[in-house]
Amino acid sequence: MGGRVVKPKFTVYHLFLAIPVLYALSLVIFPLVYSAAISFTNWKLGIPTYEFVGLRNYIDEFHDYRFWNSLRVTFLITAGAVPVEIILGLIIAVLMSHQIKLRGFFRSILLIPLFTSPVAIALMGEVVMYEAGGPINGYLKLLGLQPISWRSSATMAPWTVVIWDVWEWTPFCFLIFLAGIQAIPRVYYEAAEIDGASGFQIFKSITLPMLKYPLITVTMFRLVDTLKIFEIPFVLMAGGGPGIATEVQSVYIYKAGFRGFQFGAASAYSMVFLIIVMVIMMIFIRRVRSYYA
Amino acid sequence: MPRRTSILKTAAIYIGILIFVAFFFFPILWMIVTSIKLPRDMFSLGVLPFIQFEPTLKHWHSELVTVGAENRHALINSTIIGLSSATISTVLGILAGYALARYEFKKWKNIDIITWFLSLRFLPAISVAIPFYILVKTAGLLDTHIAVIILHSAFFLPYSVLVLRDAFKSLPREIEEAAMVDGASPSTILWRIAVPLIAPAIVAVFILLFSFSWNEFLFAFLLTSKVAVTMPVHIAGSVTTIGVLFYTLSVRQLLAIIPPVILALFIQRYIVSGLTLGAIKG
Repeated sequence: MGGRVVKPKFTVYHLFLAIPVLYALSLVIFPLVYSAAISFTNWKLGIPTYEFVGLRNYIDEFHDYRFWNSLRVTFLITAGAVPVEIILGLIIAVLMSHQIKLRGFFRSILLIPLFTSPVAIALMGEVVMYEAGGPINGYLKLLGLQPISWRSSATMAPWTVVIWDVWEWTPFCFLIFLAGIQAIPRVYYEAAEIDGASGFQIFKSITLPMLKYPLITVTMFRLVDTLKIFEIPFVLMAGGGPGIATEVQSVYIYKAGFRGFQFGAASAYSMVFLIIVMVIMMIFIRRVRSYYA
Repeated sequence: MPRRTSILKTAAIYIGILIFVAFFFFPILWMIVTSIKLPRDMFSLGVLPFIQFEPTLKHWHSELVTVGAENRHALINSTIIGLSSATISTVLGILAGYALARYEFKKWKNIDIITWFLSLRFLPAISVAIPFYILVKTAGLLDTHIAVIILHSAFFLPYSVLVLRDAFKSLPREIEEAAMVDGASPSTILWRIAVPLIAPAIVAVFILLFSFSWNEFLFAFLLTSKVAVTMPVHIAGSVTTIGVLFYTLSVRQLLAIIPPVILALFIQRYIVSGLTLGAIKG
């Protein structure tokens, strides 16, 4: 459609597109602009008036040790979780790409974490990692090992968050890599086997290079989404605890906005976070863009 | 020689898979087991009913029937909000997806609009939480279904737009072109011809959006308090009210987990392309 004839400027297709675009603009972009505006004020809930304070909120944030702590924790959890998810996802995908019995059943089991509410995951952590009498510490004790302070130790806590993020998202990586592997033409593998290549050689020279696009996509999704992690630190770690050991960016901003009710300051914090996330996204989106053309 | 290695290899593959499946299934299994344990067995390490502990359905009965009003309320809210927001996003996604698949926009090219929708997918929820809270509060819509429905439908819109564009693009143009020659308008062609042809993809997108809305926590938590609380908000609050009554907690968690997981099993073929917004074909 859309042939060579002279067309009116505004077609029904423009209308089709305009409705969803305006919906997203007014509900997502407008709030962002509003938030940017508030970020230059000292608005606090309960105080009748507020005024323009320029960059005050931003300067204050860069002098706040909790901001730097939160940034460190966010990147620590991301750096801990994402590589593990990708590597485990790859391993499971390679294992599941073989002709095995019950493959559909195993795949269905691995789907569960992906469709489980993150709050339920956090509460699952609460039950299975219950320190005095929960199953994991119970089994460790049976094996003669020391129980682990999953939630009460400030050094352990970020890693507990990593474990549950890995539990939740490895299946996502697995599914995408499996789809990628299944799209590789069989002849490549047959040729390699005739040449007597070992399993590892096949993986390194065929599977991995052919998984370039899935790898870039998965890395982008996981990197950005782990930076935004909220429910597990917020629910399982009771608001980023112990202390501020798991106070990731989303929790830090949440507390400033909805515990301190400093809407001005919290808006500034969320703008800084938005910029961080968008910069990382931009690095990837240029490459990913071409898949949609 | 080749046969022996292949037996060993097969064994290694099965063992590897079973270890991973055990890791991912253990917490779920533990919830199921805990939900049928008597209070006195709550901290027992057994997982085998009848052998290691005496199973009971009384927690399920009380959480669903006798004292289950709050659970039922939250389940109904999640269903209403999930169905409504998925409907809105799907309809809007059909419109934009079809336009992007079938028309070449000039000023902003299709790929730019697509990239724009894709970038919305990566927006941190927390950065729109504060302005949205203020707007909803000012509009007097705090703790209403409509506020959560609007927010979810807007926030998950990129999925339906991009996935459905993909589905429309995979349709051969000839059918639509023939209809156009017969004088059918673009809207007739869209709703009467194109939409029925991609019905499976539309159902898959709808289920995906329903699950996202069902599982979403931050917005639902901020915007609801009593009347419109969804399942995740309800169970997050359970910890403070019921403490370490893990059997009760387990029942509630499973109630939150089961609906989206069951639905997901029906759309397996679409999950990969759905979750990556069409970047990877499943």
